[in-house]
Amino acid sequence: EYEEKTGRAQRPLSPKQNVRKNLDFEPLSTTALILEDRPANLPAKPAEEAQKHRQQYEEMVVQAKKRELKEAQKRKKQLEERCKLEDSIGNAVLTWNNEILPNWETMCCSRKVRELWWQGIPPSVRGKVWSLAIGNELNITHELYDICLARAKEKWRSLSTGGAEVECEDAGFSAADREASLELIKLDISRTFPSLCIFQQGGPYHDTLHSILGAYTCYRPDVGYVQGMSFIAAVLILNLDTADAFIAFSNLLNKPCQMAFFRVDHGLMLTYFAAFEVFFEENLPKLFAHFKKNNLTPDIYLIDWIFTLYSKSLPLDLACRVWDVFCRDGEEFLFRTALGILKLFEDILTKMDFIHIAQFLTKLPEDLPSEEFFTSIAAIQMQSRNKKWAQVLAALQKDNREMEKGSPSLKR
Amino acid sequence: MQKHNQKEHLYKLLVIGDLGVGKTSIIKRYVHQNFSPHYRATIGVDFALKVLNWDAETVVRLQLWDIAGQERFGNMTRVYYREAMGAFIVFDVTRPATFEAVTKWKEDLDSKLILPNGKPVPAVLLANKCDQGIDVLMNNGIKMDQFCKENGFVGWFETSAKENININEASRCLVKHIIASESDPVQAVEPDIIKPHLNSSKIVSCSACFKS
Repeated sequence: EYEEKTGRAQRPLSPKQNVRKNLDFEPLSTTALILEDRPANLPAKPAEEAQKHRQQYEEMVVQAKKRELKEAQKRKKQLEERCKLEDSIGNAVLTWNNEILPNWETMCCSRKVRELWWQGIPPSVRGKVWSLAIGNELNITHELYDICLARAKEKWRSLSTGGAEVECEDAGFSAADREASLELIKLDISRTFPSLCIFQQGGPYHDTLHSILGAYTCYRPDVGYVQGMSFIAAVLILNLDTADAFIAFSNLLNKPCQMAFFRVDHGLMLTYFAAFEVFFEENLPKLFAHFKKNNLTPDIYLIDWIFTLYSKSLPLDLACRVWDVFCRDGEEFLFRTALGILKLFEDILTKMDFIHIAQFLTKLPEDLPSEEFFTSIAAIQMQSRNKKWAQVLAALQKDNREMEKGSPSLKR
Repeated sequence: MQKHNQKEHLYKLLVIGDLGVGKTSIIKRYVHQNFSPHYRATIGVDFALKVLNWDAETVVRLQLWDIAGQERFGNMTRVYYREAMGAFIVFDVTRPATFEAVTKWKEDLDSKLILPNGKPVPAVLLANKCDQGIDVLMNNGIKMDQFCKENGFVGWFETSAKENININEASRCLVKHIIASESDPVQAVEPDIIKPHLNSSKIVSCSACFKS
């Protein structure tokens, strides 16, 4: 009988021990830990056991308090860091608004501004800075946007009532036109940042995105709508008013690198890839050799990255920071970013085979650490044997032209 | 687990077809067993790897190349056809134009890719989004069989990435034909559909090439 009693008395111990073992995962409030005596209808604990339990209880409370204190300190530190960050963003906004933007022409190239720029442009001034940096070489006015949009709308209306006439009318661009059709743009709009749920049918920016892409196909029927454009327009819409987004969009696409890609000028694209490889080999020779060995050509990952300016492959906040510096440094920064990504993941990539590298690079991890990422980009040298990006690219283009003169067959 | 006597095949498969027909969705369903109506448009090419335990002695690794559908990218993406062993050509049953483009995709494929034995690579036609209830084929199976014969497809399937219909079956069909064409390279096994006159029409187009 005694054994039975003690056996029963000892039983409650084991769950307590479990609790103690799992304490690391317990809720952090001490209110969850209340030591109570056994209910009156049960035999009382032996004194020794009660003492032991009290001791365990006290240990638990001490541990919990310690953890709470630690948590509180951590929260305080996080809060301080956030305040600091908000302060620095606030200060940066002031600097951009009061000092830099009013004196853009004289200040935009100064060392101080370039450094601030690298830190990332505060979201509230981002659109303005992008607009200024991209410029408006094409002299597009808000009125021109309205005209292009009106034409696009007219075309869509006639397309939905009966497409045959329209095709005859624009015989010159019929192929490009067909590609630029409402349907194509519509299909892609719903597939632009689907997780944000703002560009989809019924979303707040659906019509805006539709309008900008449609207007562009009327402004540049020779280019038309090309996949990737919807991502670029979407990022601009998130930072600029519609007409200004259109102006930035058209001017951005008019830059040599973007024109080469969006017109799918294959020869010139290959030249860009070749220039990229020069800097790839220079900066990451080991990985370069590994890629060569595995037949992993740069087009496999660069096409997506360059066409969408990283807006599809990087988390949006990081992509915007890449855009910031792209606006500052031009096309070479797109390729520098690519090398930064490769450098950041060099160790993993060197251990992978073709298909795994290809999979990895066409679907980058979603939780890229932003500071490490930019540190990695910063470590990339865009100098090859004292030649800068533009010089390397120009030399390759010159070689290509001479080769084309020599033999009519296409390279590769 | 008897790895020592297992054969391993690695096949590169292309997934091609017009923009928005569901190529990426089919691959996601096939490889990751899930579906989302919100895939991002594919720019360039995406990749996936599927490992099949084909039979007791054979493991098949499928390297899937999910190629962007916009016609404009044709010049850029055709280099990806190289060394492919088979292809899925996909269209969207709710959009007739995507079916009309199928012959164009098939011709493009055959003109850029020929097996070492001189035959076109096995291709399976996928009539995707069959769950949508709007079917341009209007359940016309006989006509589709005829279409496949005429265009040299080894088979066709009505598929739905959303409802997981026929995707595994389509893949088994394609792999079966690839294995058959591999094991008998000189005289490929009697294919389900390919007709002799297809080859003769090829010769015609070749001789036309020589003339020009």
